[in-house]
Amino acid sequence: MSDQHHPTPVDVDDPSLSRFDLVREGARRDGIEIVHYEPRFPVPGTKAEKRIERGIALWLVLSGISALAFVVIYSIWNWEYVLGGTAYAFFTPLLGTTLGLALLGIGAAVIIWAKRLLPEELSIQDRHDGASPDDERKLTGATLLSMVDETGIKRRPLLKGALVFGLGGVTLAPLIPVIGAMIKDPHPRSEPLFHTGFKDGIRLVREDGTAIRPADISAGGIETVFPGIPHGATNKSADSPTLLVHLRPEDAVEAEEKAKNRDLFPTDATDAEKEELKKANYFAFYAYSKICTHAGCPASLYEQQTHRLLCPCHQSQFNVLDSCRPVFGPATRPLPQLPITVDDEGFFIAKSDYLEAVGPAFWERP
Amino acid sequence: MIASAGARVRDRFRRSSGFVVLVLALGLLGGAYTAFAPSSQADETPNSIAVREGEKLYNGGCTTCHGRNAQGITDRGPSLIGVGAAAVEFQVSTGRMPMARQEAQAERKPPQFNKEQTEQLAAFIDSLGGGPKVPEGNLRDGDLAQGGRLFRVNCSSCHGYTANGGALSSGKFAPALDDVTDEQMYAAMLTGPQNMPVFGDNQLTPDEKKSIIAFVQNMKAEKDPGGMGLGRTGPVPEGLVIFVVGIVVLLFATVWIAGKS
Repeated sequence: MSDQHHPTPVDVDDPSLSRFDLVREGARRDGIEIVHYEPRFPVPGTKAEKRIERGIALWLVLSGISALAFVVIYSIWNWEYVLGGTAYAFFTPLLGTTLGLALLGIGAAVIIWAKRLLPEELSIQDRHDGASPDDERKLTGATLLSMVDETGIKRRPLLKGALVFGLGGVTLAPLIPVIGAMIKDPHPRSEPLFHTGFKDGIRLVREDGTAIRPADISAGGIETVFPGIPHGATNKSADSPTLLVHLRPEDAVEAEEKAKNRDLFPTDATDAEKEELKKANYFAFYAYSKICTHAGCPASLYEQQTHRLLCPCHQSQFNVLDSCRPVFGPATRPLPQLPITVDDEGFFIAKSDYLEAVGPAFWERP
Repeated sequence: MIASAGARVRDRFRRSSGFVVLVLALGLLGGAYTAFAPSSQADETPNSIAVREGEKLYNGGCTTCHGRNAQGITDRGPSLIGVGAAAVEFQVSTGRMPMARQEAQAERKPPQFNKEQTEQLAAFIDSLGGGPKVPEGNLRDGDLAQGGRLFRVNCSSCHGYTANGGALSSGKFAPALDDVTDEQMYAAMLTGPQNMPVFGDNQLTPDEKKSIIAFVQNMKAEKDPGGMGLGRTGPVPEGLVIFVVGIVVLLFATVWIAGKS
C-alpha cells in the first residue's frame, strides 16, 4: 500500500532527518500517507495571525471569567426559598449559564485554534476490504478444530458422559426453585401479599389518623382512607390505601341493586365470602382498594357523574356502581371491595380484611 | 230662608263630614290591612329584588335545559333545586353555564352574565331550596403548608401536582387552575361541579379550603426562572426538549465544523 509510493524504508537513525521526516515515516509505517502539509502562516507574526490569536485568547478569558463566576455564585448566592422572593430561583439557571459559557469558551478556542492556526494537512489512509483473506480464514478454522482434537473428547466416551452429567447437574440447580414453585405453592394465603392493614373492627381513618363518620363525606364525595393502625398511612401499609365513595342517593339505589345481584367474585371466593361481598357497602358508602389491579398505580380519579374510577397510568376505568368492574383499559380484574360498617360510636370500621389480594397480579395469585 | 239656608249648610256639612269619616275609616282599615296582611309588596328587601330579577334571567336563559320550575329535564339538564348559590356562582361566573351545546363536558368560556346578574341568579336558585354558599371575606387566609398537603391528597390525582389539569375518560378532563378565582375554587370544592367529587365542609373545613386556595394561588404566582415552564411537569419533558433541541443544534454544529475543514 504505502510501499507503492516509498518502496525503500527510511533509516530512522539517519541524523540528517528532521523531526517532521520522522513523523511522516511513523505515519507511513501505520499505512498513512501525508500528501500535503503546509503551515497556515508561512511568515510568523503577521497581522492576520495576531488577530486569530487574540480571538482564541478572548474565548479562553471568557471561559475563565465564567468559571470564576460559577464558583462565586455557587459560594455566595442565596438558593434557599424566600417567600415572595425571586433571586433564589435564579441560582440553578445561573450556575448552568456560567458553567455552560465556561465550557463553550474552551470548545470555541480549541476549534478556532485547530482550524486557523494548525498547519493544513491532507493524509490518505487505505482501508482494507471487509472479509479476511481466504488463507487466514482457513488457518483460524484449523486452529480451532485442533483445540477440540487436543481434548480428545471424541475418543474418550467416559469423559464425554461425565461432562454431560456434570454440566447438566449444574444447570439443573438454578432451575429447581422455579420448577419446585410450580409443584408446591411457596406463598400460601398467609403471606403478606394477601393481606392489608385492615381487619375486623379496624377503623377507616384519614391520612392524619382521624376517624370518619358517614356525615363527614357529602353525597358525591370521596375520601382516601387508611387502616387505623400504627403506620397505617405510611409505606409500612403501602397496600392499604382505600377510596371511600359516597354515592348520590339516586346512584346508590342502582348500586345497591347491582351489589345484591353481584356476579363478579375473586376466583377462589367461598360462598360465605360471596355473600359478604354482596353486602360489603354501608348504605351509599362503598370502599374500594385504591391500587389498580393492572400495574398498581393509585386509581383515584373519580368521576362523580359517570361513576368511573380512573387510573392515570394506563387509563384503566372501573365502574363504581357495578362492583368496580373494569370497563376500559388494560385492567382485567375489578378493584377489590372492602366490607365496611359503622361501629357503636358512629365511625367507619372494616368488617374484615379485603377478601382477595389487592393490587396487580403476581405469580402465586389464584 | 235664613234658617233653611243654615240648615242646608249644616246639612251639607253633615253630609261631607260623613264622607270624611267614611274615607278615614276606609283609610284606616286599608292601612291596617296592608300593615298586617302578608303582601309580596310589603317586604321589598334587596334580596327579594335579586330573587325576582334572578327569576327573570332564569326564565330567559336557563329553562330550555333546566325546566320552567328548575326541576330539570331528562338528558338535558339536572334539577337545580337545592344545588345552592355556590353552584350557580361557579357555573355562571366561569361561563360554563349557559352551555353552548351538550358535549363531554361544559368548558370554561367568557361569562354570559355579569357579576350582579350572576348574584341575582344565585339568589333565585338559593330561594328554591337552599344549598351551599360561598362565604364572604378573604378566601386565601390559610396555611400554605397544610394547603399543599391537602392539595396533594385530595386534588392532585386529577388536577395534577402543579394544578395544570389532566385527562379523564371519554373526552372529559380536569381543567388547569390557571385563571380560577378564589370564589370559584371554593365553590367548586363545595359543590363538585360536573364530574368533580364534592368536598363538603365536614370533609374539608372552611379553613382547610382556604389553605388549599392559598396554596394553589401561591403556586400559580410562582415564576418559572428557567424560561418556559413546559407545563411544570418536571424533568422528563425538560430532558426530552433539551435532548431533541440540543441534538439538533449539535448536529448542525458538527456538520458546520466538518464542512469547514
